Amino acid sequence: MSLSQLMLGPNVVLCNAASQTYPSCNTFTHALSFFNKIEGSQATARQTAELLRSVISQQRVPYTNQAGALIDAVKAIGEQLIAANPVELAVGNIVRRVLHIIREEDLSLTTAAIGGLNLSAVSDDENDDDRDGDSTLSAAAVAAAARSTLRPPSLQTLLEDTPVSAAVPQTSSSGGDSEGKSKSADKSSRSRKLKHDVIEAVNELIQDIVTCHEQIAEQAVEHIHQNEVILTLGSSRTVLEFLFAAKEKKRSFRVFVAEGAPRYQGHLLAKELVARGLQTTLITDSAVFAMISRVNMVIVGAHAVMANGGVIAPVGMNLVALAAQKHAVPFVVLAGSHKLCPLYPHNPEVLLNELRSPSELLDFGEFSDCMDFGSGSGSPLLHVVNPAFDYVPPKLVSLFITDAGGHNPSYMYRLIADYYSADDLVVQRRATAGN
Amino acid sequence: MSMSAYYQTRAAHHGVVTSDWLAQSQEAATRAVVTGGQEIVDGGKSGRAFSVIDEFNNWRKQPDLAEAVAAIRALAAVIRNSEAKTMMELEIELKKASDSLKSWDTTSISLTAGCDLFMRYVTRTSALEYEDFNSARSRLIERAEKFGEISYKARKIIAMLSQDFIFDGCTILVHGFSRVVMEVLKMAAQNKKLFRVLCTEGRPDRSGLRLANELAKLDVPVKLLIDSAVAYTMDEVDMVFVGADGVVESGGIINMMGTYQIALVAHSMNKPVYVAAESYKFARLYPLDQKDMGPALRPIDFGVPIPSKVEVETSARDYTPPQYLTLLFTDLGVLTPSVVSDELIQLYL
Repeated sequence: MSLSQLMLGPNVVLCNAASQTYPSCNTFTHALSFFNKIEGSQATARQTAELLRSVISQQRVPYTNQAGALIDAVKAIGEQLIAANPVELAVGNIVRRVLHIIREEDLSLTTAAIGGLNLSAVSDDENDDDRDGDSTLSAAAVAAAARSTLRPPSLQTLLEDTPVSAAVPQTSSSGGDSEGKSKSADKSSRSRKLKHDVIEAVNELIQDIVTCHEQIAEQAVEHIHQNEVILTLGSSRTVLEFLFAAKEKKRSFRVFVAEGAPRYQGHLLAKELVARGLQTTLITDSAVFAMISRVNMVIVGAHAVMANGGVIAPVGMNLVALAAQKHAVPFVVLAGSHKLCPLYPHNPEVLLNELRSPSELLDFGEFSDCMDFGSGSGSPLLHVVNPAFDYVPPKLVSLFITDAGGHNPSYMYRLIADYYSADDLVVQRRATAGN
Repeated sequence: MSMSAYYQTRAAHHGVVTSDWLAQSQEAATRAVVTGGQEIVDGGKSGRAFSVIDEFNNWRKQPDLAEAVAAIRALAAVIRNSEAKTMMELEIELKKASDSLKSWDTTSISLTAGCDLFMRYVTRTSALEYEDFNSARSRLIERAEKFGEISYKARKIIAMLSQDFIFDGCTILVHGFSRVVMEVLKMAAQNKKLFRVLCTEGRPDRSGLRLANELAKLDVPVKLLIDSAVAYTMDEVDMVFVGADGVVESGGIINMMGTYQIALVAHSMNKPVYVAAESYKFARLYPLDQKDMGPALRPIDFGVPIPSKVEVETSARDYTPPQYLTLLFTDLGVLTPSVVSDELIQLYL
């Protein structure tokens, strides 16, 4: 299975391998390792979402507890995807988004089905092992379950942690079992509806990922004013679109671009900006501190945004953030919502970083004798470290501009609560329900 | 000088016992029995030997049980012994019991928070779910008794969440004795992590000595510091771990005296301060400065007689504002201080 084949049609690949999900997954994860461009998170996110969409549409769901089956299937693939490339956080983010979508759609279907006495089993996937078959629950009990399912564990759910079915006494009052027959017809239409709803929601997600640049760029005109000087580092498509949008609205401003060694992508950005008629100045990374006092605002892109508001960004960004703080220059980070990760970084410089080839720094030919493993004790005196990413702590960031609007770092947890469920933080297939 | 029963209990459980303290605790215990007796007389229900305060005191004596859990268990006992026939009646009885518990020791935040949490839960449950009073009542009792397990589970969850943040070769500074922090360190030691603990003495209880003993049993390298040596050693510290007596609405914490100091020093030297607190310690308080909370006083034994003209600062706790805290580890997950007020609003919605 070649890479080009995969790029053209992951869905085709998957359809063939529907019953053996693992081989297709391996190919995709192999493909993932090729996604080592820093700006690749959007493309990666989109591929992941499309892959998961086809997994869901292929998945056979049983009559009861459809959501649980879908969630298991997604978790199985998701585990593999995340393990293949843990530094590319967008993959994990999308897996968790899809899981959250499944839970949400299931919940809204359930609450819609409470219209009268005929209730099918509440697909609370925590309880698949506790309950077999269906049990009739009073509407209030189901409402209580709904209150506690989707919300992240909160003070309210502290005292209600047992599943509703176990707690409801056998003398439940409403609707007897005589309605059993009409239930099965209900359920099959429900199962089709769940998959349909989930796939629709995943399509919306893909749409959001694809259009995130436009949505962020719409907010450009509120932030960039006349005669401003903007500083950026490296090259980010989001920043490019953002600046173009402000230019369209006839704002005149100047841009300082720090070249972003060792990949020098700042050079490409500078070229594109000039092509659009923006006054640009190219500087080295070391000159950032010298120039920062003349700058009104720093606008940068990010590789990932962590749950505490910290930013994983191309190397050199921490430098710029510290310089900006020293001179009280607002440090604005642009990030699509697929970059928002619900994890807390405990050692981001090491665990969320990627060490790239020393060849980007040094020419092997010239330095071959210093880096020779064959000489003397077998370990060279010259080590070359080339990290790809930097961690910027939340206190250095002034504002996040996402496709959901502009927020400050301490607000990130709200977006996370909206997009993710607490159960999905560790994407692991659970063999038995409940901890 | 009124003494804070909460801090006396903590000293009893975790501190070094001195003869002075023994005498004072004796006095405090007899005082509690007297007020408990009054409760019986004023209760109005004749012939009832049950007193919620006595019940609470019984539970509180267990060193491993958190205050809030003891309070909830005492309230469960109220339900069990109640002769009410309707939900409203039961709620009124519970409210009275809860109020008397709270007024018995106004200084304990987790006690107040625990009572409030349980009352909140009762009013929500009763209104919605059960038509039958007896089944509702039995469910309440069952839930309250299970709450003790939740507390124990909460500590385990917090310990699990914090494991990632303790890396090999790190140095952790802890202040005084917190059962939750002890659980965190115990689990890290069991997971064979290599770390070192610097432990402050924690005057006047000297609860740090107890913590040092416990850690030595686990073969964790421990170094004891006097409270004033924190700034001196802060540069070799990688992170600060503290527990909390209460977490307030702003995201700050109320904890044993000395925590604010340590947080200030850590903040000025860019060291992260992590707080381990169970979620039932979240309280609806918003102190604006140190003196904004009700006073909780502890007798301090200086070892030498102090002239009566000299005043002594006997407050047992201080308030650490949220900007000095990095993360809170709770059984609701890892939270930044700004999330706390959100959680509280969700509870009281």
